[in-house]
Amino acid sequence: MPERNTDAPAEREIVTGDEQFSEKMPRRYQRRRPRQVVPDYVDWKDVEFLRQFIPERGKIMPRRISGISAKDQRRVATAIKRARSMALLPFVWD
Amino acid sequence: MADRTYEVMYIIDPDTPEDRVTKLNEAVGSLIEKEGGKIVRMDDGGRRQLAYPIQKKTEGHYVLYEFDGSGREIAELERRMRVNDMIIRYITVRVDEDRKKADKMKAKRDNRTARRARFRQTEDASPEAAA
Repeated sequence: MPERNTDAPAEREIVTGDEQFSEKMPRRYQRRRPRQVVPDYVDWKDVEFLRQFIPERGKIMPRRISGISAKDQRRVATAIKRARSMALLPFVWD
Repeated sequence: MADRTYEVMYIIDPDTPEDRVTKLNEAVGSLIEKEGGKIVRMDDGGRRQLAYPIQKKTEGHYVLYEFDGSGREIAELERRMRVNDMIIRYITVRVDEDRKKADKMKAKRDNRTARRARFRQTEDASPEAAA
């Protein structure tokens, strides 16, 4: 019960605070980054290039954030996986 | 049918002495040649920090070979590398297809820019012709 009480006013606050954007409120992630330049040949040994698609945690950046084309994303992803298996890139950053 | 290009990279245990490393690299090179491959490039990357520990080692000696061949060399090469204790990791990647694709894409783009440039030229030239 106390939980519902705390939730309700917060919701109302959002609606009254900004009526136009209240419906769109749960926007979880940022807009796409400006288009990245992906070379025609993605070299899996080019660690410096691949690093820009790996945020701190070490995961491969999803396409909605990296903003590159599906084809390029696929090539970058395989390159990252190859580099990982050769210990050029980490599987996880702690 | 030697129309394929492969990259072979392997990591050597950092504790192996230098002379054995060079001997190993020579052995790999001669094996590739013996199996019918043609070495294009050999790159000794030297010691490098590993991104994560492998067999409790934090460093490794990276070596890269690039060769043209039929693809039948790989089986024997990988079998030898698997058995060898000095090699802690290896990978073989076929690169010719992707490179060919990249060349095609580049040619396409160059073509397009050339055509566009030509179009612009005629556009610039036409008013002069009218005048």
